[in-house]
Parts: sequence; structure tokens; C-alpha cells
Amino acid sequence: MGALEELKSSRWADEVELEGGALPPSTEVFENGHKILTEYKYEGDKKIKIVRTYKIEKRKFSKTIAVRKTWKKFGESANDKPGPNPATTIVAEEVYMHYITSKEEDNKQEDDGLDKLKAMGDKNVVKCRTCSGDHWTSMCPWKDTAMAGGKDEKKAAEPSKPGGGTKYIPPNMREGATRTRSDNPNSGRRDDTTAIRIANLSEDTTEQEIEDLVKPYGPIHKLFLAKDKNTQLCKGFGYIHFKFKNDAAKAIEKLHGHGHNHLILTVEWSKPQTHNNN
Amino acid sequence: MKPLMLHGHERAITQIKYNREGDLLFSSSKDNKPNVWYSLNGERLGTFNGHQGAVWCIDVDWTTSRLISGGGDNSFRIWDCETGKEIGNIEAKSSVRTCLFSYSGNMAMYTTDRAMRNNCEIFVIDVRTVDSSISQAQPILRIPIESSDTRVSSVLWDNLEDTFITGHEDGAIFQWDFKAGKMVKSIKEHSLLINDMQWNKDGTLFITASKDNTAKLFDASDLSLLKTYKTERPVNSAAISPIFDHVVLGGGQDAMDVTTTSTRVGKFDSRFFHMVFEEEFGRVKGHFGPINSVAFHPDGKSYSSGGEDGYVRVHNFDPPYFEYNFDY
Repeated sequence: MGALEELKSSRWADEVELEGGALPPSTEVFENGHKILTEYKYEGDKKIKIVRTYKIEKRKFSKTIAVRKTWKKFGESANDKPGPNPATTIVAEEVYMHYITSKEEDNKQEDDGLDKLKAMGDKNVVKCRTCSGDHWTSMCPWKDTAMAGGKDEKKAAEPSKPGGGTKYIPPNMREGATRTRSDNPNSGRRDDTTAIRIANLSEDTTEQEIEDLVKPYGPIHKLFLAKDKNTQLCKGFGYIHFKFKNDAAKAIEKLHGHGHNHLILTVEWSKPQTHNNN
Repeated sequence: MKPLMLHGHERAITQIKYNREGDLLFSSSKDNKPNVWYSLNGERLGTFNGHQGAVWCIDVDWTTSRLISGGGDNSFRIWDCETGKEIGNIEAKSSVRTCLFSYSGNMAMYTTDRAMRNNCEIFVIDVRTVDSSISQAQPILRIPIESSDTRVSSVLWDNLEDTFITGHEDGAIFQWDFKAGKMVKSIKEHSLLINDMQWNKDGTLFITASKDNTAKLFDASDLSLLKTYKTERPVNSAAISPIFDHVVLGGGQDAMDVTTTSTRVGKFDSRFFHMVFEEEFGRVKGHFGPINSVAFHPDGKSYSSGGEDGYVRVHNFDPPYFEYNFDY
């Protein structure tokens, strides 16, 4: 049983019909495998229409379980109709298992990876987008100072305009503009910094397909594919949390514009939620 | 996952138990009516009406034909699962704290509290035929626990029906020989009350949940301590997954301290530990009070928790849980 609940204040037309204040009788409609239960009730002065949709499923069980399913209800439930009684069975809000990974360990591994890359002798493997230094952008020593974004631009600016102190910086190059969105670990949850968003997926995409798509770029932590509640079809986008940030960056670089199921994928950093309900 | 909230109780849940196949979920609470639910859709099958006070413990036999319950009204009752009718009632001298069917379902054990100058006692009764005469029947075994500070707080049958294990208020665990009626072994690994003990699937290991903020895993054959799961709150209940090396711990602040702390500090999450590495890997939020009882569905694909807030929450695991690999 999956239940959807929907609260609506009743339409004005319904209200006119029932001016006496009596509540319309509750109805039960069976429709292609769903039971739609409509009830009316007062909450204070407001009339409220409650529509609950239950999915009816048939399952196979062993005989003993099937027999128990036919038992008559007793005790306080003796007068309940078949199916869950909304007074005693409530579908709770979605909760997620919060997986705990030791933070210290993660950082250590990232450092190890960096050291390894450095040891390979290729200096340009890691390049800060802010100061072109030999570190990640998020680790840039200049990142929180006014100097951020300064080095490169000064070099570029000085030859052309030797005396000028003020110089136009495009909005996306101004300090904090790009960094605060995805790179700065202090903004939003830490998780988001390794998350990417894949959009323009076809309806029949499955989690497995996505996993196969992103697996080559590195270990993933979590994969979420947005699906329609009833039809279980893909809504066209999904999120992937990588274990490491450079893997995520690599995946964006490689997969953005990649064709999958005749559609061109859009891959970008996952933007932090605007309202954080954590 | 979208948990089902079962709201059939008006007061704190004391114990929840699945039947052998896991299609039914039984719950008892400090109000006086144990409930039974279909675990699949959360539909309530019925309530067992008759107790006059808090119900501390319930158990169901392996055929799901009978339910036993013990309560604060100094009674031990036997119910018919199909109709919800009471078929037997035994008066005790003090409140009945724990009850358990034996492996075959032919016997039932219950223990009483030490109260009103009555000792804590262990009773084993024959429940092959249950009718009104059972209240006069002599118990097969009756063991008074003399020492003043060790009330029995949890019990388990062991070795089919040859021995049984009792967990005590002071943290001690005793193993008893059933035929001889004697204690054969005792250990004391916990420092405070043992609230719950549960078997793993094949009955070789059991896990204890104690007020001393730990849950511990023991080898049933020699009562040797294998693993310790540490938390920072009292643990009220612990269960072992039938399909993975996972244990789930439920607990939280004592009920009396709850009003002075917010839910965030109270740590009312179900906490998942890796059974071997003793390391916590996941948490599930939801309850507004401490969790008093947790149980895994026998197929390991869902678990339930009952809390001080009076709700039983049935959780079906999401696919990522089954793919989760512990990094080591």
C-alpha cells in the first residue's frame, strides 16, 4: 500500500450545494488498481476535503500467512473496514538513513590522492582556479581575503593599464561568485560539494544505467534518481554524490554534453538547497 | 523510505515483536491493550482487551496461535491470536516484567518484579492446554531470586529448551539449567539494568541492551563477550539483522529527562552498527522520544521501532541499504 494524502479546502461550488453545513458523505472509488477515499471534515470553521489514494496490490504468500490475512478484526478494530484505518495507520514523512562516514578519514584520503598526483611529477594536475597555485581551489590560502581572484587579473591588467587602480571584473569572476556556489565547503552541507546533477535523462532511465554511466569516474557515495511517485518513471534528472571531489569534476567535464539514449545530457554541480531543512 | 506510523496506543510502547513469518507485528504499551498489526500495510488486525494496567511484555508462539502478555496489574494472560479472546489468566504476586514462549511453544516462562515484600521470581508453566483451570495449575518450575538487588529484566530460552538466560537489573547475566532448576553460570559485563536481549537468526549469538549506554554481543555457548557497541545514551533495545552483519540499537534519554532536552540532543535515532567492526554506520530519525523496543522483520528487509512517544514505526529499507558496503 502506498498512500498519498492531499488536503484541499473544498471548492466554492460544493459549499453552495451544502449550505446547511452538513458534510457530504465520504466516498470510496475503485479505479484501475487504486482505491480513492474522499472524506470531508471541519477544522475550525473551514471545511476540508481529504483525498487519500491507496494502491491495491496483490502478492503471493505462503498459506499460513494468507489464512491470517482473512482473520476478522477484533477488539478496538472490530468495526474497521478492510484496509488500513487512517486513524491508526499513518504514512509518515519520508526519512532517510543517514550514513555516517568518518570525516577525518575522508580528508586524509583526499590528501593522499593529492600527494600521489604530485608525486607523479605532473605539476599541472592540480591548479587553483583562484590563484593558479598548486592546490585545490577550495584550499586556496587567498580564498577568504580580498586578494582572492587577484593574482591572475593583476598580471593581465597591469601591462594594459599601468596606472589604473580600478579595473572591471566580470560578475562571474568577482570574488565569491563561483566559489560560493559550489566550491566553498562552508556553504551548505559538506555533502553538496561532491554532488553533481544530471539532467535531460529519458523517462525510462534506471538507477543502474546512471551508475554504469558515472562509475568509471570514481567511487560514488550516494545516487538519487528522481522518479514519479505513481508511475516509477524517471522525472528526467538525478543526483550523484561522489566520494571525492575531483572525481565529480572529472565526471562533469566528461559527461556534460554526452549523448545518452538519444538525449544530450546536462551535467553540472549540484546547487545547494535554498532552504536547508537539516 | 516512508515509514508507517502505527498509532494504536495512547502511552509509551514497551515491547514490539514480529511473529515467525513476520506478517504480523505485535505491540504492547503502558496503556492496557496490546495491539496486532499487519506489518505489510500497517493495518490493525485487533487489540487484546483485558489487562487492567501497563503491559510490560508480550510474546507470540511459533504457530501464531497464541499470544502471552504480562502486565503491571499482576497478571499473566494468554490470548487467542485469531479472535483476540483471553483464554487464560494467572494471577501473580507482583507485576509481570518479562514473558517468553519456549522453542516448542509447549511452555512459557514469566518473571515477576520484587515488590510488596515479594521476591523476584521466575515461573515456567505448561501451556499445552490452556483453559480457565490454568490459573490453579502448579508451575513446572519456580525459582525465587533471593539476592535483593537483582530483579530479572529480560529472559531468553537457550539450547532449544534445556537452558535459559536471564538478564538482571544490576547488569548480571545468569544461565540456568532448566531440568535441574539451577544456575550454571553467571557473568557481569554490564553495570546497569539489561533492558532487552535478542537472538541472532540461528540462535548462536545474542545481543543485550543496557542502561549503561552499551549493547553487547555474547556467544550463547559459553557466554563470552564478543563485541561492545558504545553510545552516549542508555540503550533500551537492540536487534541483529537476519541477513547482514548489522545490529540496530534503539534508546535515548530516560523518559524522566526528556522534557528538559530537545529532540536534537536527545538522540532518539535508531542507530545501525556493523556487527563485527563495532562501528556506527547509519542512523534513522523519527521518534519524538526514546525508543523502547526495536525488531527486525524476519526477512531483514524492514525493521520496526516502538517509542516512548506511543508510536510504532515500520521502516522498509531503501535499495541503497542493501547495496551499502562497509569500508574497511
